[in-house]
Amino acid sequence: MRGFGAFRDGRGFDITLVTLALAYLFVFAALPMLYTVVMSLQKIDMFTLGTLNRPFVGLRNYERVLHMPQAWRIARNTGIFVALSVLFQLLIGLALAMFFQQEFPGGSTLRGLFLAGWVMPALVVGAIWRWLLAGDFGVVNYLLASTGIVHNHIFWISDPHVALYSVIIANIWLGIPFNMLLLSVGLAAIPGDVYEAAAIDGAGRFSRFVFITLPLMRATLGAVVALSIIFTMQQYDLFAALTQGGPSNSSNVAQYWSWQLSFETYDISGGSVVAVLMIIVVILVAAIYVRSTRLEQRV
Amino acid sequence: MRRYLLLAIGLLLTGLYLFPLYWMYVSALKSGRELFSYPPRFIPHDIVWSVGRVFVQHNMATYLSNSFLIAGGVTVICVVLGTGAARVLVRYRSLWVDAALFAILMMQVLPSSLMVTPLFVGFSELGLLKTPRLAVVLAQVAKVMPFYIVIARASLAQIPQELEDAALVDGASRIGAFLRIILPLARNGILVTAILVFLQSFGEYVYARSMISQDSLQTATVGLSSFLGPNTSDWNGIMTYSAIYVTPILLVFVLLQRRIVSGLTAGALK
Repeated sequence: MRGFGAFRDGRGFDITLVTLALAYLFVFAALPMLYTVVMSLQKIDMFTLGTLNRPFVGLRNYERVLHMPQAWRIARNTGIFVALSVLFQLLIGLALAMFFQQEFPGGSTLRGLFLAGWVMPALVVGAIWRWLLAGDFGVVNYLLASTGIVHNHIFWISDPHVALYSVIIANIWLGIPFNMLLLSVGLAAIPGDVYEAAAIDGAGRFSRFVFITLPLMRATLGAVVALSIIFTMQQYDLFAALTQGGPSNSSNVAQYWSWQLSFETYDISGGSVVAVLMIIVVILVAAIYVRSTRLEQRV
Repeated sequence: MRRYLLLAIGLLLTGLYLFPLYWMYVSALKSGRELFSYPPRFIPHDIVWSVGRVFVQHNMATYLSNSFLIAGGVTVICVVLGTGAARVLVRYRSLWVDAALFAILMMQVLPSSLMVTPLFVGFSELGLLKTPRLAVVLAQVAKVMPFYIVIARASLAQIPQELEDAALVDGASRIGAFLRIILPLARNGILVTAILVFLQSFGEYVYARSMISQDSLQTATVGLSSFLGPNTSDWNGIMTYSAIYVTPILLVFVLLQRRIVSGLTAGALK
């Protein structure tokens, strides 16, 4: 009886609640992650897929995948994709957050409307951008041409030199609201009298931004950059809607390639190899982020 | 005067940002000839209403109800499993709690397109792919539950511990105090978080695409992608489909905008 009483009224109840959630995540997230590592070390083909008894081949899969001709191009694309997406999401997000920090009627409502981009399914966002960026009839090309920025239409989706950038543009659009929202929270936390004191001392707009806003926003900026990196490395839907990694891998990135290997060429162990390498990077970024926010809270 | 100048700039920026949404709706209303006119018309002249045709032709009723079922299942499991865990993680402050939170946060960052490989193989070995929508629900819960716990925790943290203690002194059991005192007080926060989880799952794509092979069980995202091939030209159809799909999402968003913004900001930076 005592056991049941503890369950109803003691810490047992609390432990049960947490354990249920953690057990679920263990079974459906942690175990699959470990399973990826195992599969990346195994030889898997159509015949051994259904069985558990698959031969281990050491690091041979890693060697094979890294020697594929497209591997380095995809690694480079992934780097460009993450770097440019995060940079522009941050710059535009910060500029918008600072603009909406000013007091004016309807300001907070307008800022909230930006989140409409965030609640949209990313696949639909990709479809819309594909139409905006269409080569012959796309409105983006029209605007660029009519303002004289370009003379010939850019074939955003089919030109191997720009295909990656079309996905980056859509991804920046998708990430702006979240960046802006988090940066607004950070900006609002800076006490107003700091700025007033600096203004009395004769600091101009620019020096106030460089010497007050940026240093005081350091923790927020770090968190936002880390979260943007993580979200950008999760981006799959935009690639599926816009370029499918093409033409000939010119816009392919690791998280899309891993899926292609597993589900288009049925190279499960190859897909697992890419997944393992990518997951290591994601977890490293996340661990740095969590560590820095914990440290920040203790200070 | 300055305030109204700022308002004008603010309206311009918001309009510029939301232009893709406007373009989706406009393109959904344009006739084929007008859609491919160059220069493009920013305001349609002859409006074509193709909602009914697209809805029927592309089986949207089936796709949308599958998406709805999957998102509903994900939300229910998330709320049932996540709310209690979030509450406990507010109550205690210890190394164990920190470790649990850390583990939960780590699970959140795993990209779906990478996790789908082991989940697919594992589920096929367990025979779960015979019920593919359930498989997608199980996978998606693992994806969004960390988010749910983190955000719900922030709104549960606002309820003072004293209220629960008082109920316990009055003879309520822990379960009773949780169900009758804490849950009603945190109702709004939990509801908004649940809606966010629902919206995210309503737009889920990778798991559905990879695990569901039968067209009649497929979701609205996969239905959309099936006519997004390399040489697609039915942009009126695609934009109409998109508009039908996202209008309910946008309506829910507009209605709950304030709450969503405050819920996210409270949870995201903790």
